[in-house]
Amino acid sequence: MPLLGSFCLLFALALAGYCFVVGVVAAVRKDAIGYRLAETARRAGMASFFAVLVAAGALVYAALTDDFSVAYILHHSNRALPGPYKFAVLWSGQEGSILFWALLLSAYGFVLRLRHKVDQRLVAMASMVLAAIQIFFLILVNFVANPFGIMDRLASDGNGLNPLLQYPEMVIHPPMLYLGYVGVSVPFAFALAALIMRYPGEKWIHITRRWTMVAWLFLTFGISLGAHWAYAVLGWGGYWGWDPVENASLLPWLSTTAFLHSVMMQEKRGMMKVWNVWLIFITFMLSVLGTLLTRSGIVSSVHSFAQSSIGNWFSGFLAIIFVVCMVFYVRNRDHLRSENKLESLVSRESSFMFNNLLLLGACFAVLCGTLFPILSELVRDVKMNLGAPFYNKVMVPIGLSLIFLTGVGPLLAWRNTSVGSIKRNFAIPATAALVIEIVVGFVLYKNGVHFWADMGQMYAMMAFCLSTLVIATVTSEFIRGGIVWKNKLQTNLLAGIYQLSRRNMRRYGGYVVHFGVVLVVIGLAGAAFNQDKEQEIGKGDKVQIGSYTLIGEEYTDDDNANYSSQAALLEVYKDGKFLTRLNPEERFFKASGGQPVHIVANHSTLREDLYVVYEGRNPDTDHPIIKIIINPLVNWIWIGVLVIVLGTGMALVPNAAPVSVPLRSAVAVSQIDERGMQPAGAGK
Amino acid sequence: MNPAIFDYIIKMVCCVFAAGILIYVFYPSRDTDTGVVKTRTAYLYERKEVVYENLRDLSFEFKSGKFTQADYDGMRLGLEAEAARILAEIEMLESAKA
Repeated sequence: MPLLGSFCLLFALALAGYCFVVGVVAAVRKDAIGYRLAETARRAGMASFFAVLVAAGALVYAALTDDFSVAYILHHSNRALPGPYKFAVLWSGQEGSILFWALLLSAYGFVLRLRHKVDQRLVAMASMVLAAIQIFFLILVNFVANPFGIMDRLASDGNGLNPLLQYPEMVIHPPMLYLGYVGVSVPFAFALAALIMRYPGEKWIHITRRWTMVAWLFLTFGISLGAHWAYAVLGWGGYWGWDPVENASLLPWLSTTAFLHSVMMQEKRGMMKVWNVWLIFITFMLSVLGTLLTRSGIVSSVHSFAQSSIGNWFSGFLAIIFVVCMVFYVRNRDHLRSENKLESLVSRESSFMFNNLLLLGACFAVLCGTLFPILSELVRDVKMNLGAPFYNKVMVPIGLSLIFLTGVGPLLAWRNTSVGSIKRNFAIPATAALVIEIVVGFVLYKNGVHFWADMGQMYAMMAFCLSTLVIATVTSEFIRGGIVWKNKLQTNLLAGIYQLSRRNMRRYGGYVVHFGVVLVVIGLAGAAFNQDKEQEIGKGDKVQIGSYTLIGEEYTDDDNANYSSQAALLEVYKDGKFLTRLNPEERFFKASGGQPVHIVANHSTLREDLYVVYEGRNPDTDHPIIKIIINPLVNWIWIGVLVIVLGTGMALVPNAAPVSVPLRSAVAVSQIDERGMQPAGAGK
Repeated sequence: MNPAIFDYIIKMVCCVFAAGILIYVFYPSRDTDTGVVKTRTAYLYERKEVVYENLRDLSFEFKSGKFTQADYDGMRLGLEAEAARILAEIEMLESAKA
C-alpha cells in the first residue's frame, strides 16, 4: 500500500504540473489547438483528484490495518486505538494533514473543473491558479513531508494518537477547519484569474459566492467545534483561550466575513473592487499562514501538534503568493476602478465599509497578538506572549461596535438615508433594546450583581442591549416584508414571511445568520458572570457554589488497553433538592507515556453550565481535587452556531421563481412589470 | 499473501490506474465549444440587470414602509439615471457594431 500511495502522489504532482503548464500555454495561444490543450489540462486537473484520493485511501488503509512499517502510522497510531480515531490518523500528524490539504484542494478543484461550462475561459484560468497551489502541496507531500516513509525495523505497536485528539469532535473538527481553509482557495483562484484576464464585470463574484459561503460555513463550524472541544477536553473551564492556533483559524474567518459583506457593494453598486480583490487575496494568505502556524511549531500552542522546518516552505509560498498578487494588481489595477462613489456616511454602503474596517481591525489585532512572540524574539531576543487581557481589551469594543452595525445596517438605505427614515426604522428596535436592558439590569441587581462596578459586566450589559437591537431589527425586517407578501397573496403572515424568504434566500438567510451571531454574543457575554471554586473533596464532603451543593460519593480507578483512569462520583443538589450525579474523570493514555486528559462532567442548561473537573489526587490524603465552575449562558453559544449553520444553509439555497399574481384592481400597465415587483420606470 | 505477489499486484494496479487516467486526459474531446470572450456589452447587460434588481428591491422596501416618500423618490431617480446611462452605452456600442 505505501508503494501505491507514493506512486499516486507522484502521479498527482505530474498531473497538476501538466494542468498548470499546459493551462498557461493554452491561455497564451487562444486558438483551436489552445482550446484542445486547455481541455486536456482541465481533465488532468480533475484526474489529479483521483490520484490524491487513492493516496489518502492507501494511508487510511495502512492505519486501519496497523501497518507499522509506515513511519507515519507508527508515530500516530497504535493497535488499541478505536476505529474512528484510526481514520482520523489521516490528519493527525504533519505529513498526513498536508496530504489531507492536498486532497481537499484537489476535490474543490475537481468540482470547479467539472462545472467549467459556467464560464469556460474564466474557469480555465482559475483552474490554472488552483493547479499552481496544488503543485506546492504535492511537492510538500512528495519530497518534504512524505506520509509513506518506510521504517527500517518493524515495530510491534505504534506510539499512539495524541491523547488530546482522542475525542469524538476531534474526528470532525480538523476536516471542517481544513475544508474552510482550503475552500478559500477557490474564490482566491477566481479573483486572481479575473484580475489576470481583466475580466469585465462581477460574474466571478456570482460564481464564487456559494464557494465563499461554503468555506465560511466550514470555518465557522470548525472553529466552534474546536471551541467545544477545548471546553470539554482541556478542562480549564473556557472555550476560547486566544491560543495562537485558535487565532490562526479566526484570522481567515474574520477576513472572509468582511469579504461576504463588502462583496455586496461590488455586486450592487460596482464599488470597492480593489478592496474586495485584496480581501480575498489576504484571506487566502491568512489561511496559508494558519496552516503554517499549526504545522511549523513556530509559536507554542496546545494545538501545535508538530514542530518542523516545513515553516520555511510555507513562508516561501506566502512570499510567492504576495508577489504574484502584487504584480498582477499593479499591472491591471486600472481594471478595478469603482463605478460609483460613497454618497453619504449614513447609508448601507457606509455601514458595510465600517463593518469591514472593524473586521479588518480585529484581524490586524489578532494577527499582531499572535505574531508578537516571534516579533519580540526577533527584536529583543525574548519571547513575549500577549495573553487574554490584551485580546479582551481590543476585541470586546470592536465586537460590540460590530453588533451595533449588525443592528443598524439593514435599516439603512443604499446611497443615503434621511432623518425621517431613520426615525421610522429605529423607534421600535431601540425601544426594545432599552426595555430589555432595564429588565436585565433590574434582575441582576435583585440577585446581588452590581454590574456597574465591573467593566467586564458592563460590557456584557452592553452586549445584551445591542443583541436585543439586532434581534428586533431582524424580526422587523421579516415582519415588514412578510406583510407586503401577505397583502399581495392574500394569505397569513407566516406564509408571507415564507414567500419573502424563498424569494431572497441570500438576504433572509443572512438575517438568520445575524440572529445566530447575537445568540453567540449573548453566550459570550455570560462569561462575565462566571463563578469558580477548587477544593479537595473526600467521601461525604460538601462544597457550596452559587445555588449548588456538591457531595463526594465515591472514587474509582479503571484500566483498559488504551488508558487507565481515575474518576469521582459527586451528588449535586440545587437549592437543597437533588439534581443529578456527575462523574468527572482523568485519563492517562498508555501509548503516550501516561499523558493525562480531563473528561469534564458538565450539567448543562440554557441558563448555565455546572462544569466539574477532576484535577488529580492530593498525594497526602489521596482525596480528589475537584474544580467547579458555573458558566452562565454557554449553551447559547452552541445553539447560536447551529442557527448560523441553518442561516448559511438558507442563504445557499437558490431563490424560488417569481410568482404570477392576478391583478385585483386596475393598475396602469406602465406601473408594473411581468415580475410583479418591478417599480415604474425600471424599464426606461 | 506472499509479499512478492502482493507487491506485483500493487505494481499492476499502479500501471492500470495510470493508463486509465492518461486515456481519460488525452482522449479526444467531441466538445468544440471554445467559450465566449466576454465583451463590454455583455458586461453592461449584466450591470443593467443589477440596476433593475436594485430598483425592484427599492420598490419592495418602500412598500414595506422602510423609507419616506422623499427618500424613495430620490433613490429611484438616482437608480433610473444609472440605468439610463447603461442603456445609452449599450445602444452606442451596438450601433457602432452594426
